[in-house]
Amino acid sequence: MEILTLIVKRVSYAAMLLLAVVVLNFILINLAPGDIADTIAGDMGGATAEQMAEIRADYGLDLPLWQQLFRYVSNVMQGDLGYSYFHTQPVTSLIAERLPATLLLVITAQLVALFVGTLLGVLAARKPNGWLSHIVTLIALFGYSAPVFWTGIMLLIMFSLWIPIFPVAGMVDVTIEGGWWSHVLDIARHMVLPVITLSSIFLALYSRLCRASMMEVLGSDYIRTARAKGLSESQIVFKHALKNSLGPVVTLAGLQFSAVVSGAVLVETVFSWPGLGTLALQSIIARDTPTIIGILFFSAMVVIVGNLLTDLVLRLIDPRIRNRA
Amino acid sequence: MGKLSKPLTLAATCLLATGITAGLATAEEPKRGGTLVMSAPQTPRHLNPAVQSGTATGAPGAQLFAAPLRYDENWEPQPYLAKSWDVSDDGLTVTLNLVEGATFHDGKPITSKDVAFSVKTVQENHPFKTMFAPVQSVETPDDNTAILKLSEPHPALLLAMSSQLLPIIPEHVYGDGQDPKKHPQNSENVVGSGPFKLVEFKRDQHIILERNENFFMEGRPYLDKIVMRIIKDPSARAIAIENGEVHLAAFEQSAQNINRIKKAEGVSATADGYAAIGPIAWLAFNTAREPTSDINVRKAIAYAVDRNFITKAIMLGTAEPALTGIHPGSPFYEKDVEAYDVDLKKANQILEDAGYEKGADGMRFKLFVDYGWPDVKAVAEYVKPQLKKIGIDITVRAAPDFPTWAKRISSHDFDMTWDVVFNWGDPVIGVHRTYQSTNIKEGVIWSNTQSYANEEVDALMEAAGKETDLEKRKELYSKFQKILADELPVYWAYALPYHTFHSDKVGNVPAGIWATSSPLDLVYLK
Amino acid sequence: MNDSTHISTDEPVLRSRHPFVETAEMFFRNHSAVVALVVLVTIVIAAIVGPFFYPTDPFEMVWAPFSPPGAEGFLLGTDYLGRDMLSGLLHGGRVSIAIGLAAALMSVFIGITVGALAGFYRGWIEEVLMRITEFFQVLPTLLFSMVLVALFGASLPMITFAIGIVSWTAVARITRAEFLRIRELEYVTASRSSGATNAKLIFSVILPNALPPIIVQAALMVGSAILFEAGLSFLGLSDPNVASWGQIIGSNRPYILDASYTVTIPGVAIFVTVLAISLVGDGLNDALNPKLRQR
Repeated sequence: MEILTLIVKRVSYAAMLLLAVVVLNFILINLAPGDIADTIAGDMGGATAEQMAEIRADYGLDLPLWQQLFRYVSNVMQGDLGYSYFHTQPVTSLIAERLPATLLLVITAQLVALFVGTLLGVLAARKPNGWLSHIVTLIALFGYSAPVFWTGIMLLIMFSLWIPIFPVAGMVDVTIEGGWWSHVLDIARHMVLPVITLSSIFLALYSRLCRASMMEVLGSDYIRTARAKGLSESQIVFKHALKNSLGPVVTLAGLQFSAVVSGAVLVETVFSWPGLGTLALQSIIARDTPTIIGILFFSAMVVIVGNLLTDLVLRLIDPRIRNRA
Repeated sequence: MGKLSKPLTLAATCLLATGITAGLATAEEPKRGGTLVMSAPQTPRHLNPAVQSGTATGAPGAQLFAAPLRYDENWEPQPYLAKSWDVSDDGLTVTLNLVEGATFHDGKPITSKDVAFSVKTVQENHPFKTMFAPVQSVETPDDNTAILKLSEPHPALLLAMSSQLLPIIPEHVYGDGQDPKKHPQNSENVVGSGPFKLVEFKRDQHIILERNENFFMEGRPYLDKIVMRIIKDPSARAIAIENGEVHLAAFEQSAQNINRIKKAEGVSATADGYAAIGPIAWLAFNTAREPTSDINVRKAIAYAVDRNFITKAIMLGTAEPALTGIHPGSPFYEKDVEAYDVDLKKANQILEDAGYEKGADGMRFKLFVDYGWPDVKAVAEYVKPQLKKIGIDITVRAAPDFPTWAKRISSHDFDMTWDVVFNWGDPVIGVHRTYQSTNIKEGVIWSNTQSYANEEVDALMEAAGKETDLEKRKELYSKFQKILADELPVYWAYALPYHTFHSDKVGNVPAGIWATSSPLDLVYLK
Repeated sequence: MNDSTHISTDEPVLRSRHPFVETAEMFFRNHSAVVALVVLVTIVIAAIVGPFFYPTDPFEMVWAPFSPPGAEGFLLGTDYLGRDMLSGLLHGGRVSIAIGLAAALMSVFIGITVGALAGFYRGWIEEVLMRITEFFQVLPTLLFSMVLVALFGASLPMITFAIGIVSWTAVARITRAEFLRIRELEYVTASRSSGATNAKLIFSVILPNALPPIIVQAALMVGSAILFEAGLSFLGLSDPNVASWGQIIGSNRPYILDASYTVTIPGVAIFVTVLAISLVGDGLNDALNPKLRQR
């Protein structure tokens, strides 16, 4: 019940945030010189002045800005994100085509980063000054310090060109025959490099935080009590300490959703992953306003939902938060 | 004009020859079946070339839709959906005799009414207005005869009826009253007339085509399926060709990758097949604004820019120099024009004589150089240090997106810009537009954005556009190119080195004039 | 983007004054942080004075394109126009670090202002400011910067602004949390009752005590801003008239298969710099974190 009110509150609030995203970006994009008619003319190898005027009239670009804004916002309120000038398709269906690919990449990368990061963090925390701890720190920092697209390109050269074990681009190999499992396997094969690349940034964050938070917990009184009771070290670490150090890690993961979406743009570009990121770059370059705003809208939604889920997970793992609310 | 039309008998022989038309003959017997995997560098907006120009739509479009004619690599028209054609001696009537029994992908017959509808749709919606401008009407005396009536002779017409420029689209689908530019069946459930049918079009992923079993050319196409994988990163495409994931990649222009693929085993790179596309990279001047309005400034810049360095060092020897606005692969190209071979001393002298003194910092004046395409980024950056040598202080203006650049250039707010402009087969279609004084239009990219005006040049273009005698036409264009080279509204640098990368497993790699924007019905896998 | 190292706890921890010396001592006990600091200082010095000792214009074509490192006296080779990579690296470092610093400074300024006002005044001011913060938090950072740079031109100030405007939310949150904590502490209530003005309370009483985690965050932000700039450049959104590490990577990206050094070298430069900054940030965090000090 209490969770329900929280959700209702958060959802209505999220709607306001999303509306702000739409309005701000609409105004911003329309302030810049040039418009979609130029893009379409460019894409077609030229256009006459009449054709360009027709395109503008067609999309209502000849109206005053406030009228365009009013029209656009009232459409968005009714769930209509408009029509992509460039792709000649409704924006909602365009994005619906891409969102699953991005979600698959983003969620898998987050889970991998969380899992591996926590594991490395725990290992490092057990012996904070041991060589393992330092190596873990270095590996983690590598991922964080190297530009993510650069990591991607290096992996691509290594594992698609030198040792060609992973495909170079895309999400599926349409020439593959066979049952559903061979398709699942195929997608998994395509995912390996992009997921490693994207999770490498966040691996560092999670493992470092997990290490720090574990060390804090391991030094606390009740762990000392547990030790005194003669519990085995692994029992202490995994049963008691880890449970209590997960909170900050999950909180941080929730805060990273916006960064994950950003990283996804770069990773998708490197690996030609057919998600929102590649669509975004193309739309920005083509000045396809409805699509750009649609993508910002959906990415903001991913972030908001991610944050909400984080809150719920936190409540599950940490009863103190539940009581506090 | 009679000599350009093919006698009926020869056309018929061509049809009878099993599968191999003149010029495409190979020693090997083509094999049927298999899936050809191609890569495409960008996602097309949609798949209907009748209302969309450009090579992204052209490649799948030419598979989905048949045109009345096709061209071989010698610029000779060949029968396609029209089994024969005839141009009247006065050049005002063009008769197309269509193949009998041809059907669209939905089984309905392809008739002369559809041809008339297609011509009308292209006339009304395609950006290249000059293609069918003189066509007054299309008469359809019977289902297999279409007669185009012209207001004046139009030698570019036959080319404009080939490949992606005149796809025959079904009137019963696209004539339903919806705007053909936004027709939903431009992207899905495409009802075409060509050798392949659409299976699936997933943006930024792939286009899957399968054999049209009822294709009007017996025994074709050879392939069961074509998969076009959309891979935007050039390095990724090169890797995919090398490791065998992709069999065929067209419109590749990265010099490094071209040389790399040439050296790699089991794959080849060829520059054949792009003559009609005719992409020329050039440095355009704003002739309506100081100081580039001064012919001396333009000449000095032309002498300072080293075309040889560009083609040999930057393009690593893959690109051909282009001395004029007509592509070197075109029959109308005139190579005997002033080339402005690099001469820094002369360039400095010209500026000195014209009164552009060097300031205290060694610079005479400042200029902006724009560029609208990533393809010409390197050459745009090149002119900065190069023109510094003759005392011109260059700032490279990056336009992060296309509209920003197009707006600047088309509203004449620029000094110089690097650009790539396509010939599109006939000079009437792709060349005239950038030099006609009547085409200086505010807000229209690839119009005469240089604001160049010369009555004699206008007259030459007008005459050449109507001239039906090939030799006379060549003469007119030769004069046209010589005057332009003297007056330099544009410094033409090189032909974009489009190449086709292919695995050695691919037979009959497209070698006509339209590269992969032509039917791939003869391509097979060994 | 990165606020991991600050382990913010809402439990009131009594933080006694930390003498600078104690902090420095703590910092210098951390070997990797010290090494990183040395590396970082070297890089910064190289970027500042390097161009004076090696004045070759990074845009000048000095030799044949694609000469590999070491050939013909060019230590790091030449790029696709025959421009000297070493010169690009030195001049580019200056610009990259400058963008990183400027963007971080901008974020810190906005972040502290928003966080301090929200944390100090509470009430509707906090409500409004935190809503704005949340707005920027849900806006996908890179996408929004891409829109800004693509629409309004890839000039250095615009790029810096586009990075700064999306990166300040973490600082704002940390600052607010610190202010909320500190404002209830005894010495604050004491100065308040002794009649200190709000300005004095904010700037000379609370802010100095709230600074440690903000400093750590700011240090890390320089690193992430450098990465951010590289990312924008990779997508083609960089100023072609100014060499930066990201710009060099972005321009040379098409040539990666055969001249990979043109991308690897600036990539390594970014990597080492950001790594050094992270390690120094870690060291600072440990040195400034009273809990760890007790151990």
